[in-house]
Amino acid sequence: MTCVQVRELLAERAVGVLPDGDRAEVEQHLRWCAGCRKEAAELDSAAATVAFALAPVPMPAGLGERIVARVRQAAGSPGSPRRLRTAVAVAVAAVVAVAGLGWGAVMAGRAERLADRAEQVELRQAEALDRFRQVLARVVPGAELPEQETFLGRLVPVGPEMLGGGAVLQLVSPNRIDFAIVLVNGLDTDGPDGVPYRVTLSNRSGDLLRVGRIDELDADGGAQLFRQFEGQELVGYTHVRVTDASGTVVLEGVVDQSPAALGS
Amino acid sequence: MEGLLAGNEDAVRALYARYARPIFTLGLRLLGSREAAEELTQDVFLAAWRKAARFDPSRGRLSTWLMTIAHNLAVDRLRRETGASRPRLVLVDEVPEVVGADEEASMIERDIAVRALSTLSDAERRLLVRAYFGGLTAREIAEADGIPLGTVKTRLRTALIKVRRANVDKERLR
Repeated sequence: MTCVQVRELLAERAVGVLPDGDRAEVEQHLRWCAGCRKEAAELDSAAATVAFALAPVPMPAGLGERIVARVRQAAGSPGSPRRLRTAVAVAVAAVVAVAGLGWGAVMAGRAERLADRAEQVELRQAEALDRFRQVLARVVPGAELPEQETFLGRLVPVGPEMLGGGAVLQLVSPNRIDFAIVLVNGLDTDGPDGVPYRVTLSNRSGDLLRVGRIDELDADGGAQLFRQFEGQELVGYTHVRVTDASGTVVLEGVVDQSPAALGS
Repeated sequence: MEGLLAGNEDAVRALYARYARPIFTLGLRLLGSREAAEELTQDVFLAAWRKAARFDPSRGRLSTWLMTIAHNLAVDRLRRETGASRPRLVLVDEVPEVVGADEEASMIERDIAVRALSTLSDAERRLLVRAYFGGLTAREIAEADGIPLGTVKTRLRTALIKVRRANVDKERLR
């Protein structure tokens, strides 16, 4: 669908009467088109106004407490795996948001094509976060992920000519198998020095650990890696590097392994 | 929103105090029963908790975001329940019963909304209400009224743009 075709349907979408077939195509278009998404948001806002015009009706007694209880149950009690994973997700969201700002700053003032690309990268942040969550859910299905043993870092482009960004999550534990999850996004999908990308961890002594190799990027230049380090502790392996096929470092970051890193 | 994301009870209560009534009201108008409206209201808050990380204040207001979730959930429910009768809505500008101080925000929202809708012509307002509350597609309205489909689509779009413009003007004055 073109932007013109999509915009013709946005009013019907806003009031919730777009037929299913059209709706799917429009939603797909909105995932990547910032201009149409902006217009859709404005029409959605106008449509919501209609609902606010209704004369309020009396509320059922006790509904507020029932809702609080339902959300509390869904969020999990303090210390539950769900709550811990939620805390991790909040921290990841913050990291990803900061990484997004970093990319924006790097891209500022550059050629239009790259600026467009940077915009698209930022627009994918919500999806990137979802992917991180999915990886997280696979890694620790129902298992407890201790807050004090989980650490995060963000990956930023090394130079002004580099694209992309990402986030890293490490489990560094005295009694579990340590692991690292690396999420990248916005890497060059068609450059000569693209895939395979390699991700490594290093410590202050310069010792290297391989996290893995990225042979394929999705349409957004994104990928994810997960590796468990059996018999190898990740303590001190805080420097994360992503290199392209020619060995050039494209993304770099530091995982904050201080105990209070995730507590906020 | 981080409070909501973490399931913080105070955050949920604060959101409830400000937005539950308009959400419940919408549910009642769309779904036709208080039981269904209560279920919808619960579902909206649960969905808001699940989607809290995706809310971007730079792209829209929280009230709009919540009401969009509510409308989408209600429309999905109506679609699933084939044959469900869709209640006819009458916009009544009546004074609500006494509301708490926390609900002042939603009353301001209502004031803005009523004024925004008053900028529409009768035909535009009727069209918007039939689509938004009645779930009638542009094609269905065109066929029922015997007017071209393109006219209905243009009128619907014009109505929403007018409402949007009135909202923006009002917000500038706040």
